[in-house]
Amino acid sequence: MANRKAILISPELCTGCRACQVACKAWNQLPAEKTKFSGNFASPADLSSNTLNKVRFVEAPSEDKPLRWLFVSQRCMHCEDAGCMKICPVPGAIYRTKDGAVATDPDKCIGCKLCSAACPFDVPRYGKDGKLSKCTMCADRTENSMPPACTKTCPTGALTFGDSKELIAKAKRAGYTKVYGENDLGGLGAMYAFKDAPLLYGMKENPKVPEMVVFWHKYLKPLSLISIGGVAAATLLHYAFVGPHKDKEGDDE
Amino acid sequence: MNNNNMVVMATAAERVFHWMFAISCLLLTLTGFAFLFKNASIAGVFGGFESMKSIHNWLGIVFIISLLMSSAKWLKHPLRFDADDIRWMAVAGGYLSHKVKVPPMGKLNTGQKISYVGVLLSGILLTASGFVLWFFPELKTWFLLSFIAHNLSFLFICIFIPMHIYLGTIGNPGTFQIMTSGRISYKRAKNHYPKWVAEMETGKKVLS
Repeated sequence: MANRKAILISPELCTGCRACQVACKAWNQLPAEKTKFSGNFASPADLSSNTLNKVRFVEAPSEDKPLRWLFVSQRCMHCEDAGCMKICPVPGAIYRTKDGAVATDPDKCIGCKLCSAACPFDVPRYGKDGKLSKCTMCADRTENSMPPACTKTCPTGALTFGDSKELIAKAKRAGYTKVYGENDLGGLGAMYAFKDAPLLYGMKENPKVPEMVVFWHKYLKPLSLISIGGVAAATLLHYAFVGPHKDKEGDDE
Repeated sequence: MNNNNMVVMATAAERVFHWMFAISCLLLTLTGFAFLFKNASIAGVFGGFESMKSIHNWLGIVFIISLLMSSAKWLKHPLRFDADDIRWMAVAGGYLSHKVKVPPMGKLNTGQKISYVGVLLSGILLTASGFVLWFFPELKTWFLLSFIAHNLSFLFICIFIPMHIYLGTIGNPGTFQIMTSGRISYKRAKNHYPKWVAEMETGKKVLS
């Protein structure tokens, strides 16, 4: 998409206040979850059908910085080359908004859960009704020219929303040589300005749609139609040019 | 036996399981294609994508039961393979030219035996992978592998369906009645299935 909108996440500016999580729940009317302390400050510990974004807390001490705590806001990455959209069997259940976000229509979702197997970032979660529930980049807000709830509420500028290209230019002016998501998966709708290797922040290097999904989409899927159509055509050609089996004399009663 | 006497080639149970399998297989293929290509018109016939998913899943049960029930009766045929089968393959069963001499066959010819084993194996793979797709989405890698296996084994069905329909109807006039009345004339049986007829007669078995 030529001019897609995106969220730029700058962990260096994040204070880990989790206002983005609260704003997300407030706008999307999602209930709080009972959590347990398990040695990490991330709360809830993982995304769920009721938690569409969260802050990851990473302790990364080094020689020169004995105390270093990274706060990484995470959500659906809104891939341009989206594995979930490729594999979803229902038209419109997962769709692209005019701003380039990957949004969902729970009424159309049939709960097959194939999208979870095709997502490079382990984002899709399913509610008690078995239907997909994930960040839509607040499609209902952006349609009305409002920024996503999490970016609207962020008090430090760690989350900013805008034109993808402008956000990349802004990050580069601020001294970031690479922006995570600028070119990954055709360009991501959630990008990161990382000072260090993405792995340190809990993000994989070079994310890709699973190869099996690409193989299926590119070859297996068209091949099934070609097979049934090709063999049907071949039988007709056989009938016309070779002809049906001829009965021997007096075969029939 | 008089040439005009009718012999039983397929019992009522065999024909019932054949048609259970055929109908479930065709409907599964149709709904499968609707899922593959996100076809809302086909889905509409089945009451939308959500009910089409349930129909597809439950038809899978009919599919595997009818396949296994017919295999109980038919599997003994493809498991027998002799020199005539090699000769049959050498002349492509006479399907590419009517001038070649086709070796004598039993109840199933070599092509039928091979495609039957193919249907049985792909049917089992389709059912096993479909079972994982239906019940075990949390097994991430197996779930995706099953999805690929489901689509790969479906390719065989895509090749088999048009071939089987053609060869069972207009491609071989006189064959279709085996799956309707289940009977053919003794003369036709001797001409088309000589080894089967000989075996039944020497074994003093009823022709069925």
